[in-house]
Parts: sequence; structure tokens; C-alpha cells
Amino acid sequence: MNPRTRHALEFVLDNLVWFMLLFVLVVFSIFIPNYFQLGIFANIIEASSVLGVMSIGLALVIIAGHMDLSVESVAALSAMAVGILFCSSGIGMGVQLHPEWLMVPVSLLLALAVGGLIGAFNGYLVVKVKMSAFIITLASYIWVRGLVLVISGGRSAQDLAPAIRWFGIQRLIGLPLTAWIAIACFVVFSLIMAKTPFGRHLVMIGGNETATFRAGIRVNRNLIIAFVLAGAIAGLAGWLLAIRTSGATANLGVGLLFNAFAAVVIGGVSLKGGVGTLPGVYAGVLLLSAINTAINLMGLPANFTQVIHGLLVLAAVLLDAFKQTIRQRLA
Amino acid sequence: MSEPLLVLDNVTKNYGAIEALKGISFSIGKGEVVALLGDNGAGKSTLVKIIAGGLEPTSGRMLFEGKEFLARSPAEAKAAGIETVYQDLSLCTNVDVVANFFMGREITRKVLGIPVLDERAMEAVVGKALASAGTRIPSLRTNVEHLSGGQRQAIELNRFVHWGGKLVLLDEPFAALGVEQTRRGLDMIRQVAKQGIGVVIITHIMQQAFQVADRIVVIRQGVVAGDVARNKTSPDAVINMITGETLAGAGPAG
Repeated sequence: MNPRTRHALEFVLDNLVWFMLLFVLVVFSIFIPNYFQLGIFANIIEASSVLGVMSIGLALVIIAGHMDLSVESVAALSAMAVGILFCSSGIGMGVQLHPEWLMVPVSLLLALAVGGLIGAFNGYLVVKVKMSAFIITLASYIWVRGLVLVISGGRSAQDLAPAIRWFGIQRLIGLPLTAWIAIACFVVFSLIMAKTPFGRHLVMIGGNETATFRAGIRVNRNLIIAFVLAGAIAGLAGWLLAIRTSGATANLGVGLLFNAFAAVVIGGVSLKGGVGTLPGVYAGVLLLSAINTAINLMGLPANFTQVIHGLLVLAAVLLDAFKQTIRQRLA
Repeated sequence: MSEPLLVLDNVTKNYGAIEALKGISFSIGKGEVVALLGDNGAGKSTLVKIIAGGLEPTSGRMLFEGKEFLARSPAEAKAAGIETVYQDLSLCTNVDVVANFFMGREITRKVLGIPVLDERAMEAVVGKALASAGTRIPSLRTNVEHLSGGQRQAIELNRFVHWGGKLVLLDEPFAALGVEQTRRGLDMIRQVAKQGIGVVIITHIMQQAFQVADRIVVIRQGVVAGDVARNKTSPDAVINMITGETLAGAGPAG
């Protein structure tokens, strides 16, 4: 095999999920009436912003060789915290700040801080106390959701302050600002993972933690940062979720975790750690969103989505194994 | 012997009730190659990990360049100038050759105050280092998982030659190498020693020890069972020390 075909083949393998996305979009556009229009594509991007942001944090931790099951609950808690403070009806306290725009940074910082703190708690237990990330974050998944129920009393907050809502309403080139925030997150974190020593170290820690420790990389510090980032990003996802629903309910975001896992796996991130890129994860998120939109347009009962997502995850894992065998032939 | 670089003074290591090291004392001079020999479980690897910062000793002290020394982490040992090549390779197979070569020491340039990896500069350095050592790897951008065992070990050996430092610890570095590569590896060790770097090499192969070492230290059941200059001993005598038939030359280095 000459180097050029080899390079071309490796390029396709590295970006397989983007080709899948393209393929799916073309097929849907041809066979589903009304699928091919800008509004639909904008909607696909818009609908994937919360899931997309959440998947970034999850992917970071998985690439570093660990796991964070708590992201969904953390997002819900952040959303609830923002909702209780800045919503004007339901359990909302309707806190007003002057000038009004001040509510934006305050609510955002609150959401990030709530997420970051839980992330730090998870990270500390996993790294310093050396407990399994799966168990620790499963516990957080449960108790953080419990906390949401406790502070809300099972009720909901509605009518988020208009200054914050503005991000969900104001559009730029056909997309609401919330969608742009998600896209910006993908760009920033993709660059961090691919171009900075920190990102490189996370990938290497996921590949061989002992080797990185021996090489003098501060493994514990990097891992705790990864958990804090995952928490803070989940907090951001919660903030976006609160804007999207103009408030918060006690069961906000239930089921997002499994979609985030699906997106991450479909995006080419290996659960074994050390493998995967964030652009791939974004393609995975868009792919899920494109399929959801198709199901809606075809008028299928929404219950089909879950079946299809599950099959898609299976397909992604099989595809990953297949890619591995091709790569071994290439080497 | 030249000025001592590292002195170990009665270093012990216990795992619970098990005494892995019962009190090890010897020293390594600048530019000296010491072969560390001993049967399986004698405590060689434990000792290397203690010097390299992977394990903390239970008691005893170490002097590095005349100063009290204890590495609490590999990062501290590296900062002091101690490089280690481990028996089980310390490579991240999920990233490419360049990333492995520079693991933890990446070249960066600042973009808007943020450190960004300078891939081109790193690739140039790796290319030069591998070429001068005569190692051929098809592409420096291939992930290490696609390389052979020999190529992997070559990367690791070239890495320590490149970074040098003051003391190099090699824990069975030639286990996956062929005859020719081993010969080249032994040459590398001599070259490194010539620059004044101290080298400790653990090996099971008597012939290698006699080819490369200035001094041979034998560890048996957690104590130094022999510490002799290479030209004053023979393979048979060393084997006797390893198996414990004699205790000739036992005790701390003079």
C-alpha cells in the first residue's frame, strides 16, 4: 500500500463519525419529505447544545481513563440553583440584580461553581482516596439528584429572568446564542485537548497512567482538574438547560446521561481511555440529534428513539472493533 | 574510583512484615557503570524504584552529589537528574513516537499566553535523535501501538540517551532487543558513561554485565552480597555470589 492511500484511509478512519453523519443527513434528506431545509439543520444543532456541552465533560474524563456518571444530576442541580434564584414563579425567589445584565454572569458563575465543586469532590475521592470512579460518580449521580429533589421539594421554578432568557431567544445567523455557546465550547476544548500539554497529558494518562507518572507528569493534579472541568461543564449544560426550559423542574434532564454516553461512544471515544477526540464527539451528538429529528418528522412515536439510540451505541462499538482490525492491517 | 554520585546508606524497604531490602549500602561514581545482579526477588527492582522516586524507603538514607536525597515522586527524581528505563516499558501506546519521546517535557510556544505544543520543533528533535542512534521507524507520527517490541525499546533507550541527566537507571533494558540492537544499546551505555553520567543497569545476562560494567554489585535476599570491580572477578565467582555459595567481597563499597 502506498503512503497516500494509507494516509487517505487513516483520515477516513479517524473521521469516520463525520462521514456517518454526512451519510445519514443525505439519506434522510432524500427519503424524508421536508427534511432538507435550513431550518431543520439549524434545529438539529440547536437541539443538541445541552447534550453537546455535557458530552464534552464526560469525554474529557473518559479519555483520561476514568468515568463520570454524575454529569446529568450535576446539570440538574445547577439548573435548579439558577432556577430557584432567578425565576419569578413557582419556587423561584425572583432575585433581581441591577443592572439586569449582572444576572447573566452571576447565574453562570453559580452554575459553574456548583458543578465544579461536585467535580472536585468526585475527583478528590477518585484520585486521592483511590476509589473506583464508576462507584464514586454513581453515588454522586444518585445523591446530587436527591439534592435537587430536596431543595425543590419536588416542585418547579418557572419564568426565568428575561436578561438570562435572552441567550435562548437572541439569534445569530439562524442559531440561538445557546447553540453558539455549545459550539464555542467544542472549539475551545478541542484545541485544549489537541494543542496544549494539558490535553496531551490527559490522553497519555488514559493510555498508560503508570508511564506518565514515571515520566514525571503530575497525574493526580491533571486528573482532579479533569473531574473539576467535567463538573463545571455539566454546570454550564445545566445553565443552558434552565434557559432552554425557562426554569427548572425536579426531573429536569433525566436520561441525558445515557444520551451523552451514546454520543461519546459513537463519537469514537473508547471507554478504555486514551482514545478519542472532541470533534468526533460533536459529530456523535449531531448524529443523535439528526436521528431524533428524523423520527419526529416521520411521525414515529417518540418511544422509538430509545431503541434506535441503543442500537446505534451497539453499532458504534462494533464499528470501533472493526476499525481496530483495519488499523492493525495498516501498521 | 571517581567522586561518588549517589551513595546508598543502609536503605531498607518493608512490605508489612516482609523485608524486601534489609539494608543496602553501595555507591555509584560519576561516569561509572554499575551492573546490579541478583536472583529473581532479590530486591533489584525495588531498589531502582526507591532511587527513581517510585517507592519510598522504610529507613536508611541516600546522598546524591554529596547532599541528602529522597525522591518522593518520579518528577522529583527527574528534576534532580535521574532518568529511569523500566523493565515493563513506560510508553503510552495510544500516542505517537514524538509524544512519547517528549512525555512530560513537551516543547511549547506561547500563543496569547497559553502554552501550545510545538509539534514541528519536537518532531525535528526526535528525528535527529533517532537517526543518530541508527534507529529506523517508518513514521514518527505512528502511534506506538503499531510498532514492534524492538522499536518500542529503541524509543525508550534513545529517550534516556537524549535527556541524559546525571544518573541513569536501566531495569533490564534489553529484554525485547535482538543481538544487533543489544550491542548498540551497550555501546550507548558506554557513550553515556563517557559523558560523566553514572549508570546502573539491572540484567540477568552475565555476559552483558561483564561487557559493559565497571563494577558489579550483587544483591541477595535484600542485602549486598558482593561489590567487586569487573576486572577483579569472573562470571563464575559472581554466580556463586548470586546463589549464595560464597559471600566474597560482601559489605558496603569501600
